[in-house]
Amino acid sequence: MNFKIGLPLFFIFICGIKIGYSQTQADKKPLKNYGQNGDAIIEYIIESVAENLGEDFDYTEMVDRLNYYRKSPLNLNKATKAQLSELVFLNQVQINDLLNHIAKNGKLINVLELQSINSLDLETIKNLLYFADINRPTGFEDFSLKNMLSRGTSDLLVRYQRGIEPQKGYNIPADSKNSRYLGTPDRIFTRFRFNYNNNVQLSINVEKDAGEQYWATTGKKGPDFYSGSLYLKDIRAFKKIVIGDYALQFGQGLTMWSGLAFGKGADIFTVAKQDLGLRSYTSVNEFSFFRGFATQINAGKFEFTPFISKQNIDASAVFNPVTQEDEISSLQQSGLHRTESEIKGKGRISQLVYGGNLQFKNKRFSIGATAYQSNYSQSFAPGTDVYSKYDFTKNQLTNVGLNYNYSIKNTYFYGEAAHSLGYGFAFVNGLISSLSPIVSFVAFHRDYQKDYQSYYNQAISENTTAKNERGFYSGLQIKPNKKFEFITYIDAFRFPWLKYLVDAPSGGYDIFSQFAFIPNKQARFTLRYRIRNKEQNSPLSTSTRFLESVRRQNFRLEAQYQVNKSFTLRNRIEVMAFKEESDKQRYGFMAYQDVNYSPLSSKFSGNVRLTMFQTENFDTRIYAYESDVLYGFSIPAYQNQGIRFYVNGRYTLRRGVDFWIRYALTQYSNLTTIGSGLDEINGNQKSEIKLQARIQF
Amino acid sequence: MQDVWSVQKNQAGIAALKKPIASLAYENRFLIKEISTKSAGVAIPVNKYVLGAAFQSYGVNAYNETRGGLTLARAFSPKLLTAISVNYHQLQITNYGNAQAFSVEVGVQYQALKNLWLAAHIANPNSSKFGTNTDQIIPAHIQFGGSYTFSDKLIISTEFEKILDSQADFKTGLEYKVIKAFALRGGVSMNPFKQYAGFGLELQDLMFDFGISSHPILGYSPQISLGYEF
Repeated sequence: MNFKIGLPLFFIFICGIKIGYSQTQADKKPLKNYGQNGDAIIEYIIESVAENLGEDFDYTEMVDRLNYYRKSPLNLNKATKAQLSELVFLNQVQINDLLNHIAKNGKLINVLELQSINSLDLETIKNLLYFADINRPTGFEDFSLKNMLSRGTSDLLVRYQRGIEPQKGYNIPADSKNSRYLGTPDRIFTRFRFNYNNNVQLSINVEKDAGEQYWATTGKKGPDFYSGSLYLKDIRAFKKIVIGDYALQFGQGLTMWSGLAFGKGADIFTVAKQDLGLRSYTSVNEFSFFRGFATQINAGKFEFTPFISKQNIDASAVFNPVTQEDEISSLQQSGLHRTESEIKGKGRISQLVYGGNLQFKNKRFSIGATAYQSNYSQSFAPGTDVYSKYDFTKNQLTNVGLNYNYSIKNTYFYGEAAHSLGYGFAFVNGLISSLSPIVSFVAFHRDYQKDYQSYYNQAISENTTAKNERGFYSGLQIKPNKKFEFITYIDAFRFPWLKYLVDAPSGGYDIFSQFAFIPNKQARFTLRYRIRNKEQNSPLSTSTRFLESVRRQNFRLEAQYQVNKSFTLRNRIEVMAFKEESDKQRYGFMAYQDVNYSPLSSKFSGNVRLTMFQTENFDTRIYAYESDVLYGFSIPAYQNQGIRFYVNGRYTLRRGVDFWIRYALTQYSNLTTIGSGLDEINGNQKSEIKLQARIQF
Repeated sequence: MQDVWSVQKNQAGIAALKKPIASLAYENRFLIKEISTKSAGVAIPVNKYVLGAAFQSYGVNAYNETRGGLTLARAFSPKLLTAISVNYHQLQITNYGNAQAFSVEVGVQYQALKNLWLAAHIANPNSSKFGTNTDQIIPAHIQFGGSYTFSDKLIISTEFEKILDSQADFKTGLEYKVIKAFALRGGVSMNPFKQYAGFGLELQDLMFDFGISSHPILGYSPQISLGYEF
């Protein structure tokens, strides 16, 4: 296949179509059919909030939530603050305005009323109406076991996934002493859900990653990863009960936040975290969840959430010659158990976590306290480097925290103070304010001490955890009318203590701005620029170490347009410029074309993407969110030079029976082997297939 | 943009004044006691013109820069404000002596839309210097900016500045009036990267402002000012 000539032609072809249609189709579509179907709306929401998460992160938790409301829309007249917070694209000012509007003017009678709420712009209303409407029965109103069995819905999903080109790790003979992958290259995922009115939810996930054994024979027997939970809601004072795997999210994530959390991104308001308290854990990220029992009890304006969790977690070990005992050198979060050594670390230590959260919630004001203790069966080993001087080195840690939020007029204040007993403190305080009907503002200050310790801390930070950092973030969103939108944020930070590869206190800034032009309901153009400046050890350092600045700049241009009722197209061009002070500027480039086919009434839908990329090195790699099968996620980093192609297809056999297929291929023009170590592929081509089936009954 | 501080920044702003105004300000650099900027200004409307005078002194005992300036400003329409200034500069370095120079500044402000003011300011375009005995320059700069009034509470301003023989800078800031007499301000400049925050208080004819700028390495520089409208 000769892609080199094909690609430019393809772009020209697509652009040609676009011009032909955009004139004639303008402004004929109803509100709901705005150039993207439901999956696309969810995808768009994920992409705007998920700027900084890793390549293989599982967003199921959020997609589940959104899909649930898509199927059984939330009744806005009865929705609680917590439920509205689950719709991640709403910010706290918008939620408060909506609730105040209903409190003041009575129940919404028509969805058009939403437009009279200042902080709700048209796009937000459009997204909101996708997941909510204004009259729907809610709750346990007519609960009985019979009803539950007859009206409950079950959902069984199986996914199979496999890389096609053989990787080195699978072809090492078992009798050689070398490290090798013990399992097959297949990735198999099974998930089952039972749901009754959102009040009873049973969830089971079983998964094996590529390289893992489906039924482990070495180490712990059985499937590599399984997770399950039973979630009950609204049983008298018990607002929530979870038996099995669960996640906890309180305050701003400084003290306790497990599962999905967002960082800085194109949706600037997500920096004010909307805590959802106790949730069942339904993703397959094999870390950052709890296993045990938790419940939320409501008494008047108080909510009390006690929890206990005991599980074995993955860790690598190091021998301490002083105590003559093994200690934890690091916790492993990848959830991969493919080789002898990875299996050895699997569930190597046991962890017991227990504690509680007490929250007082008023209409405008909320304050809460969290306290918990975590116990590990072994101590953490002290690091040998100066930068790890303040790391945690015991086997028992107690965390306490205090969080608040307060709404007054057009402003929402929020914050949290946290302390790890015997160690440091951490603080975050911020506000969101709609300064005028078209200008919204967000700002927060953070101060995380270098010896603040928490293994369930996901507060907003430039570092991977909220520790050893001070900073101030401010952002603006300006939406003068429905055609233009401007978003910008500026974040400046200092790291008071040393970091890995940074042998002195350092600092930097991150500036982001995005301009969107939405000429009509079919088209959207976005221009984005981001510059990040940090410090790291200079390669010129010899006897004396000193720092140099590292600058990353991203330029992105994106166009999305609906050609007709069935076809939507999207292009993106992105350039990354990376400059180390002592080196010349290096560049990365990526361009892609999407074709999305989703007719309103057809059994088939699907999409195709062709990407061309060329990057000078690892530092100039470019990330892009890719469409995937339902509940499948992929945000690969493009590096080196080549093309990537993928196709997604969905076929609905009948209501409740769906099939998906995905094929992805990357072809490198400057490589003869791909990857390294056990993942190495001989050749310049890497491809993968995914098959998925779902039955709902 | 159109207040007594215009006499120090873009002098065209004083052309819109209807009453005499006087002001005093003090800035402390990086919380170092010895380094400060003191300034004073006055603007007086006379017939179609507004006359202004400004004085500024910067430095420590051993090194001192002072500047005095006279401004003539005129509004050609409520939408077009202009000004021209002449400054006298003096540089004083203990044990090295003194040097003097003159410079010129020109400013213009234009109301392009109901809510949008655009402005330009050029200082020392002929690059006049302190004689030949010193390398110390009087910066020649050009600035363009815009200020947009979103509501009676909110103004956002941006400015591009190029100083000759130095880097270009981009600044942006906003002012939000929490109540009529009290405003919060915040802003940022890109090159060098600095963040700003402050507030302003208006008590009838008396104006009090406080601001602080934060440089990532050099730290904080607070500033206070007082203004009085007669």
